[in-house]
Amino acid sequence: MTSNNGESVGARTCVASQFFKDDKIGTHFSYNMFSVLTHQVVDLLNQAALIATDSKLTVLKQVQELIINKDPSLLDNFLDEIIAFQTDKSMEVRKFVIGFIEEACKRDNELLLRLIANLNMLLKDESVNVVKKAILTFTQLYKVALQWFVRSKVMSEMQEACWDMVTQMKEDILAMLDIDNDGVRTHAIKFTESLIITLSPRTSDSDTPKRQEGDISLDKIPKDHPYIRYDTLCEEGKSALEQLLKFMVHPAISSINLTTALGSLATLARQRPMFMSEVVQAYETLHANLPPTLAKSQVSSVRKNLKLHLLAVLKHPCSLEFQGQISTLLLDLGMSQNEIARNTPPINDDDDKEEPVAPSVSKPSSVPAAQSAIDLTAEFLRPLLSPENVANLVLISMVYLPDVMPASFQATYTPVESAGTDAQIKHLARLMATQMTAAEIGPDEEAGKDEALDDSLGETSKDLLIKRKVPVVGQAISVVGGGYTEKSQLETPQVKRLPEPILPSTQIKMPGASGKRKVFRLADVVQPFTDAQLEKMTNTAVKRILHSEKAIAQSGMSHVRVKLLSRLVCQFEGIMMDDVLEFILEDIRTRIDLAFSLLYQEYNTYLSQQPAGLLDAYDHCLFTLLAGLQEKPEQRDGLFTKLVLEAPLITESALDVIRRYCEDESRVYLGMTTLKELIIKRPSRQFQYLHVLLDLSSHEKEKVRSNALSFIKRMYEKDQLRDYIEKFALNYMQLLVHPNPPSLLFSADKDTEVASPWTEETVRQCLYLYLSLLPLNHRLVHELASVYTEAIADIKRSVLRVIEQPIRGMGMNSPDLLLLVENCPKGAETLVTRCLHILTDKVPPSPELVERVRDLYHKRVPDVRFLIPVINGLEKKEVIQALPKLIKLNPVVVKEVFNRLLGTQHSEGSSSMSPLTPGELLVALHNVDSTKCDMKSIIKATNLCFGERNVYTSEVLAVVMQQLMEHSPLPILLMRTVIQSLTMYPRLGGFVMNILSRLIVKQVWKYPKVWEGFVKCCQRTKPQSYSVLLQLPPAQLTSVFERCPEMREPLLQHVHSFTPHQVAHNLFYELACNSGPLVEENSTQDSEEKMEEPVEEPMEETSTEPADVTDQLKDSIAEPETDRTTEPETGAGDAE
Amino acid sequence: MPSHPLRVAVVCSSNQNRSMEAHNILSKRGFDVRSFGTGSHVKLPGPAPDKPNVYDFKTTYEQMYNDLVRKDKELYTQNGILHMLDRNKRIKSRPERFQSCKEQFDLVISCEERVYDQVLEDLSSREQETFTPVHVINVDIQDNHEEATLGAFLICELCQCIQHTDDMENEMDELLQEFEDKSNRPFLHTVCFY
Repeated sequence: MTSNNGESVGARTCVASQFFKDDKIGTHFSYNMFSVLTHQVVDLLNQAALIATDSKLTVLKQVQELIINKDPSLLDNFLDEIIAFQTDKSMEVRKFVIGFIEEACKRDNELLLRLIANLNMLLKDESVNVVKKAILTFTQLYKVALQWFVRSKVMSEMQEACWDMVTQMKEDILAMLDIDNDGVRTHAIKFTESLIITLSPRTSDSDTPKRQEGDISLDKIPKDHPYIRYDTLCEEGKSALEQLLKFMVHPAISSINLTTALGSLATLARQRPMFMSEVVQAYETLHANLPPTLAKSQVSSVRKNLKLHLLAVLKHPCSLEFQGQISTLLLDLGMSQNEIARNTPPINDDDDKEEPVAPSVSKPSSVPAAQSAIDLTAEFLRPLLSPENVANLVLISMVYLPDVMPASFQATYTPVESAGTDAQIKHLARLMATQMTAAEIGPDEEAGKDEALDDSLGETSKDLLIKRKVPVVGQAISVVGGGYTEKSQLETPQVKRLPEPILPSTQIKMPGASGKRKVFRLADVVQPFTDAQLEKMTNTAVKRILHSEKAIAQSGMSHVRVKLLSRLVCQFEGIMMDDVLEFILEDIRTRIDLAFSLLYQEYNTYLSQQPAGLLDAYDHCLFTLLAGLQEKPEQRDGLFTKLVLEAPLITESALDVIRRYCEDESRVYLGMTTLKELIIKRPSRQFQYLHVLLDLSSHEKEKVRSNALSFIKRMYEKDQLRDYIEKFALNYMQLLVHPNPPSLLFSADKDTEVASPWTEETVRQCLYLYLSLLPLNHRLVHELASVYTEAIADIKRSVLRVIEQPIRGMGMNSPDLLLLVENCPKGAETLVTRCLHILTDKVPPSPELVERVRDLYHKRVPDVRFLIPVINGLEKKEVIQALPKLIKLNPVVVKEVFNRLLGTQHSEGSSSMSPLTPGELLVALHNVDSTKCDMKSIIKATNLCFGERNVYTSEVLAVVMQQLMEHSPLPILLMRTVIQSLTMYPRLGGFVMNILSRLIVKQVWKYPKVWEGFVKCCQRTKPQSYSVLLQLPPAQLTSVFERCPEMREPLLQHVHSFTPHQVAHNLFYELACNSGPLVEENSTQDSEEKMEEPVEEPMEETSTEPADVTDQLKDSIAEPETDRTTEPETGAGDAE
Repeated sequence: MPSHPLRVAVVCSSNQNRSMEAHNILSKRGFDVRSFGTGSHVKLPGPAPDKPNVYDFKTTYEQMYNDLVRKDKELYTQNGILHMLDRNKRIKSRPERFQSCKEQFDLVISCEERVYDQVLEDLSSREQETFTPVHVINVDIQDNHEEATLGAFLICELCQCIQHTDDMENEMDELLQEFEDKSNRPFLHTVCFY
């Protein structure tokens, strides 16, 4: 590409001549010059052998200049040296050698003989650029060689061999039309073009470029040349054209080759108008069948070229005959009518201006061509193209339409403007004829032959006719329908004849790749990623999807994203799981969909791997979500519950999270509600969930526990759960029989001491659940009793403490409770008693209960303590009967009994229910048989009564005293009670005097104890009692004075104060005066000992008084004589 | 890869904006580049769309510059014409017409379809002599400064890719398809012969 253009050669000449001028050699002798030049060339060649490519080229170009242009005589001398460079490793140097060969051969044709073989070698060079250069050179040298050989009338053997080689090289280059390189093919096309021009006759209408005026062509070949045959050359030319046309219709032709061929055809048409028919037909065919492999822009380029070349052809005068076809094509290509008209050569309508030669010469060449097979077929088809036939054709063809519109069709399609017009039908007929001829279908082959179509050109055209067979090209549309397929079968061998290189594989690749023939193998161009890279890319890809939430939501494709993400995460076995979970937890409210999708996907994976599948991934996912929710500050949205309830499976760890929820005081309700839902809605595992809830019923936190219990109580109402709950509760309670609390009662962190003792707390733990169930199911109470009997004392105490609430809840009408009382297992007495107490604590006992207790008491366990709770339910007789046993009990218990009996403990008026009135009680106490009960207990009991001042009012006491008075014998404690009452209520003094008086009537002195009390009472009530004393018979009065000597004096004085009348009436006067000293202190002491302390005190006072009481007595008797009659009366009045 | 730098011609209508921008960049990247116009005259924007400044191809950039400064310095500064001419005159002295140049190129790049047509018309009308191929590629560029810059970079990239091919003619098709896909614009492409 470097040395063969005129300008650059000129430039080099210039350089060379300058070189000489500088050396001032130009002025020397030619001999000198010759020798100098030789030296110079030798020098340069030596240099060239040693130096690098770039400068080598410069040097070699200098040599070429010297030996070709400056002094061609040197050419022969240095030829071998230059040619030696053809094996240079530099492509550019080899190309230079080719250029040199061309220049040398042009300068001296003789050199062809020596150099043609070298050129032949270079034509087979490994570098395509060298080959291209060789083709270009041979294109020139072919003409040079032909011309040279034609000139010589006699050919030497060497010349013949040379020509043979030239012919061979020509064939080689023609064969390069099928080579596997686009550029080489392009050069081969250009060579073919040039060859056809050379091997065809130049005619007068040939549009020959000035530069090629002198070139040889077929018409200059003598027909009598000894070696070069005119006919052979003519045939070779035709064959070349044939090859070119065949090449052009190859379906996979590259756009550049096609463009080149189009240009070549245009050149042929202009320079050899005899081929115009073939050219125009080729254009038509091409236009109707652009290769399907072309890309859109390539189609545009090709069409543009087609237009350009058609115009060039149109401008040629010989196009006249084809103007119709060319114009139709140009119109189809988008050229306006005006533009076409402008480019059409003037038609010589005017007779006066006849073209001298051109038409006449053109006719013989063009007319037969016009009558080609296509024309015939078109003519045949035209009348057949009725609307109906066309419609049928269209319908049939529909079947063969490809799925996708080929780019070429899309680019070339222009709406048919003139549908139905004659011109259009003609065009259509011609288009179809082109296709049919290509498929070798004709209207009537015989007829065609008959009509003198055997003209050589006609034959040629018929053979050449474009066979656009596209057996495998998917995009091609078969236009001819059924006939086509049939034909294509027949044509198969011909198709196979197409040389392979053009279609390296039957696969048609991307349109743009058609020029390249390398087989594409993915493995060659890609390298596998490392695992780390893969993972990184995977991660980033998933992350991108993950974080494109908003963008995707806007496009409404969220569900796709969610699905995609969950699948990806699952497929990659959770590499991305944590990121995704974290992302979800950032805003779980809006991303709950993703969470569920993920869960279900994981679960699905698990299911699909059954039975060996692992739940790990699913578990991890669910656990993280739930635990993440727990860490969030607050949710009122029920997401937790939703997540739990909608999760396909609750794993152990998930259940742990739920449990943690329940244990969290702030979320206990939420947690348990969720748990409850789970229990109810997931029957298959409900016991597992229930167990958690049951476990929590003994939780150390009160809130957790109470919530759990209330939930369980609700569950307990459900039949299917009842048994389980009950069993659990009982099992738990059963733990109480162990000597030490089992470890399961302790939370893990506290379970350090191996054998810690039972505590109130641990006992309660075992009972919480049971006790809350008890009011719901009374039958359970029996279990408690059996456990109770076996338990140790500490536990028993605790149990007694905790059962109050539930027992009260059961109520005393509970049949089971009554049954328990009735049966009262051995060892459970305290339990039963406790129950009774609880039941009757605030409410009076029911008759059923009393009945049961009575039964128990009488028949099985005669422990009076059983009676206490129901004492108010017993009959009066029974109470009185039990009284001796009762008052012997622990003072505290006795106090309680009295409280119950007296109704002093509770204010709800239950006292009215008491079988005994307070008075009756006190009376009953006085009547207790002292053999059954010691006096001390009785006294204590009466004291308890006196303690209740509100109950034992003065009236009650008066009645009691009255009733006691009636008893015979008099109760031992009568006087004690009298004294006690008097102490409490001093205003009872008058009444007491009355009592004392009546006692005298009853001969009180016959009851030693009572008499003792009588005396004491009198002593304490003096001087009121004087009148009573004075009623005593003298013996008894003496006894009084003996017991209380200090009484005698005051009594005596009292008597002295009497009026004589009064004294006369008083029989005791004397007795009082005489018996004074008889009173002995010892006897007083004895009697005192038998009296009880409260009464004793005043008596002691008196005993410590001075001995001379007789005087005082007299005084005291004498003094109040005047009031003697009134005083007792008033005292009695008081008592009333 | 050819050992010599690609001989490139960049052709637009007036050899002012698009071809010169590409000329500028390509020469900086070491290409053997020349630029041309295909129009019959050199046209530069004038005070109104229908009043362009028209020069013939003999006028130097310098002369045009001075002419415009004289006519309305502010207008032509403001619309960037003076800046462009200033750039141009530092590259070469005057615009050249493609049709008048007989030098051979490996690659001719036109900047719009009309120019491409004119290049093709010119090349195919020349008498063929050596059959050396020349590839003609059209890259559509709008005639304004920004597009010219972008287009110039695209051309430059294209040329660099072609320069780096092992066998330019064999790989051209594929290369152009890739570029079409990448730049999302079609390239007309053909081959002519000297």
